[in-house]
Amino acid sequence: MKALDIIVCVKVVPKPEEVTVHAETRTLDRAQARSELNPPDMNAIELALALRERHGGTVSLLSMGPPFAAPYLEVGLAMGADRAYLLSDRLFGGADTLPTSFALAKGIEKIGEWDLVLCGEESSDGATGQVPAGIAEWLGCSQITYAMDLALLPDGRLRGEREIRGGHEVIAVPLPAVVSVKLGVNEPRFMDMERRRSPEPVTVWSAGNLGVDPAWLGFEGSPTVVGAVWQAKSPERQRRFLEGMPQEKARLLAEQIRAAVSPQ
Amino acid sequence: MSEPAGVRVLDDFAWDEVWGAAKGAAAPCFQCGVCTAVCPWGLVQKEPVNVRRLIRLAQLDADGWGEAIWLCTTCALCEVRCPRGVPVSEIILALRRLAWERRSVPKGLPTMLWAVHWDGNPWDQPPSQRQAWAKGLDLQPFTPEHEVLFYVGCTAAYDRRSQKIARSLVALLRAAGVSFGILADEPCCGESVRTAGQEGYLAEVVAANVRRFEEAGVRKLVAVSPHCLDMFRSHYPPWDGFRPLHYTEYLAELLDAGRLRFTREVRGTVAYHDPCYLGRRHGIYDPPRRLLAAIPGLMLAELPAAREDALCCGGGGGRMWLETHAGERFGDLRIREALGTGAEWLATSCPFCILCLEDSAKVLGAERLKVVDVTELAVRALGEASLPHPALSPTGGEEKGEGAPVRGAP
Amino acid sequence: MIPSAYSPEAARGLWVFLEQEGGQLEGVALELLGKGRELAQARGVPLTGLLLGQGVEGAARQAIAHGADHVLVAEDPLLAPYTTDAYANVATQIVLDRKPETLLLGATPNGRDLAGRLAVRLRTGLTADCTGLAWEGDTGLLLGEVSGFGGGVMASIKCARHRPQMATVRPGIFPLPSPDPERAGRIELVPVSLEAGEIRTEILERVRHEGVDITRAKVLVAGGRGVKGDFGPLTEFARLLGGEVGASRIACDLGWIGRDRQIGQTGFVTRPKLVVVCGISGATQFTVGIKAAGLIVAINSDPEAPIFEEADLCVVDDLFPILEALIAELKRGMP
Repeated sequence: MKALDIIVCVKVVPKPEEVTVHAETRTLDRAQARSELNPPDMNAIELALALRERHGGTVSLLSMGPPFAAPYLEVGLAMGADRAYLLSDRLFGGADTLPTSFALAKGIEKIGEWDLVLCGEESSDGATGQVPAGIAEWLGCSQITYAMDLALLPDGRLRGEREIRGGHEVIAVPLPAVVSVKLGVNEPRFMDMERRRSPEPVTVWSAGNLGVDPAWLGFEGSPTVVGAVWQAKSPERQRRFLEGMPQEKARLLAEQIRAAVSPQ
Repeated sequence: MSEPAGVRVLDDFAWDEVWGAAKGAAAPCFQCGVCTAVCPWGLVQKEPVNVRRLIRLAQLDADGWGEAIWLCTTCALCEVRCPRGVPVSEIILALRRLAWERRSVPKGLPTMLWAVHWDGNPWDQPPSQRQAWAKGLDLQPFTPEHEVLFYVGCTAAYDRRSQKIARSLVALLRAAGVSFGILADEPCCGESVRTAGQEGYLAEVVAANVRRFEEAGVRKLVAVSPHCLDMFRSHYPPWDGFRPLHYTEYLAELLDAGRLRFTREVRGTVAYHDPCYLGRRHGIYDPPRRLLAAIPGLMLAELPAAREDALCCGGGGGRMWLETHAGERFGDLRIREALGTGAEWLATSCPFCILCLEDSAKVLGAERLKVVDVTELAVRALGEASLPHPALSPTGGEEKGEGAPVRGAP
Repeated sequence: MIPSAYSPEAARGLWVFLEQEGGQLEGVALELLGKGRELAQARGVPLTGLLLGQGVEGAARQAIAHGADHVLVAEDPLLAPYTTDAYANVATQIVLDRKPETLLLGATPNGRDLAGRLAVRLRTGLTADCTGLAWEGDTGLLLGEVSGFGGGVMASIKCARHRPQMATVRPGIFPLPSPDPERAGRIELVPVSLEAGEIRTEILERVRHEGVDITRAKVLVAGGRGVKGDFGPLTEFARLLGGEVGASRIACDLGWIGRDRQIGQTGFVTRPKLVVVCGISGATQFTVGIKAAGLIVAINSDPEAPIFEEADLCVVDDLFPILEALIAELKRGMP
């Protein structure tokens, strides 16, 4: 069986609980937020490294983001990835899922050698979960979304266990394929500190390096626009104490519970 | 000398690896077995952890150490008894380090390390919430003009129970008129990284923290947790004027200087549990006892195993991040000892000890015994006049209520 | 700009993708029909259901009873189980042929699997996992309300020049409409040209989950030392809410309930919509396992219990009388 060349698409995201909406400007305030590698992307990296251990091959990381993302890719390199690529250019900024998946697909084509692309199931910031399927479509290959486990079959196809409503299914697809990995399906290994001390350099590509029409990128290339942004709820819990006799408390509680569980 | 079967002959490389990892620490061991005999695991498991054998394996680099190296709470009871002065827990941590290299570590530890890396604390809590414990206290950001840096530590900053210790300590420092500040971006000291055996990552954490402390002009530092204290005192490179103290030491100094005075009576009997990292590690046995003895009306009882002989709570050595099966927790034994003294309080001075002992007290249904921190008893002994801030005023009722974070009106 | 497959001027009508399994419509498909009915009425357009599968006439009639005016049925044995290629190929043909203005799908694993693929193939915008839908007053564009950053930030998103305007909608957001079996509507069979060779996915196995998995539960009723060994009322309460029972470490330690239900640092981290925390004091060890919950209700007899710091709704009272009254309240509201 041949070795697997795997590309893991990762995103650097602000820690979700640290992002607030500025009360006056109605824009996102990320200034106080520490960033991290998107959690399910960590599961994707772990899965890729485990597959490389089983089958041999390489693991490359690919990300799109500002230059400050490079040190975060070094975290993935320290975990064991062989190479890292960062698509970084103002032209990529403000992209919705269509130009995002397009740019990542072009990055994957530019990397060249690959059998398998892994992504986290969704990013904790935008939370669309639609980029992996989009990449698969741009690349014209098969896909397994919401995968919990992967293995290579003797016939060279990829076997994936994926979530469906109320259960899971096991499917087989031919390579090359794009897979999105469920959050929490494995425990991402910690960094190897030898690797941490001498990281491979991160290759940075601009929009020009991809050789694509800039009108297909970023804000310009996005069919959707964000109309308004607002704060959903205070991160603080309400701490509302219900008063009255037990019967009365139960009645109030039942009301609130119904509202929380049933739609609307 | 004969060894049990299964110990394999070493190749030179493996020998170097283990020898290097333990930095030759195992060399003086002559295999007398005292360590195995005193290991507290022998009290809760049929098979004790065979420390002697682990050391032998470390000398020989056999792979047979398996799960046992992760049980060690680094309580150091074996170390104080060892006739050859072998630093057993250092050897255990060296073996853990090798386990990381071989990628055979217990589930949950990598996740804990990622939490330290991304969030700056092992409790997986948001960095922005680190100051939440101090709500309403108007604490000052530390400047070099302050007498001390109050180093809260991750557990006292985030754990709801332990936050009460931090708030009590603020009340005591204020009552004594100490000028102190906190670091708004207080970093994790790295204790959980060290005890997990991740020496390589620890070096990164320590280097960053030393830079941060030096930038801030930190000299005298008062830590809530003995585990943080141990890091600063034994595992950080010393710098000019850096003097890390445990709060019990510092409060005892304030008592001696007449700055801290206990004027209110607290009637009852208290037994004191020595935290391993305060007692055996740093010989701090007397300051907490002096604080308790200075409280009018309070009677001090000693547990059967006290001071150098004290039994570990079970929370050290990274065990906070691993599950210890019910019935195998040292805390249960400690609670039974405390019940035997007839004391109504079991006081200690370490957040990990509080968490473990309270857990055991709950499981055992020890209703009449309250597990408290030394600060929580001390704060009740402050006179009204010395309580400078309404948020810090004791409720006068059960010790639980003291210093509780401000809650929404019931 | 990436060119759209067709222009807004050429686009007509509101479509709902009718996800089905074994000829039964998924709950979210019915929810979308309810909301779609409302949206179609407001805009004065018919509501069309897009139904792919095999043996789905019953489901088509069900869709009409729940609000569809018109159901496009694509039947083929190759569409019997969901596969990305079969569904994406057939749906693309029909969409390009009929040019809907709006296409809504349920944000289920398969709904998202299809939507992400379809949106790129149609070169259009997709608003994912919406928690609200409305028409924008002046433009008549679809406004999808979405949340990001762990639910802390909300945004409304629209798709100005590309058609169809696509959105996936989170299940459980919109109410189930009541069916009207007398409702009239048109069922139209559309021809399918699909070859087995187009489908790259082979389904090897399908498994319905039997064992408990508290990490997937939408509702959790968690018990600790305060339940004093009796999880009976908690179990009944959870069942009424369609949820699962969870437990603190101590409750598991005491052998009252299995480890597979342990919540917290050394147990499972959960993300329910609602968690009712019963007789648990609220050590950080436990609360890290519920911090992502939507609504946290705490019932504890100790007013000082730290769990109240982490709860939305707090009840200081004896647990069992409250639970008993709650169960009675919930049963009252049921048919």
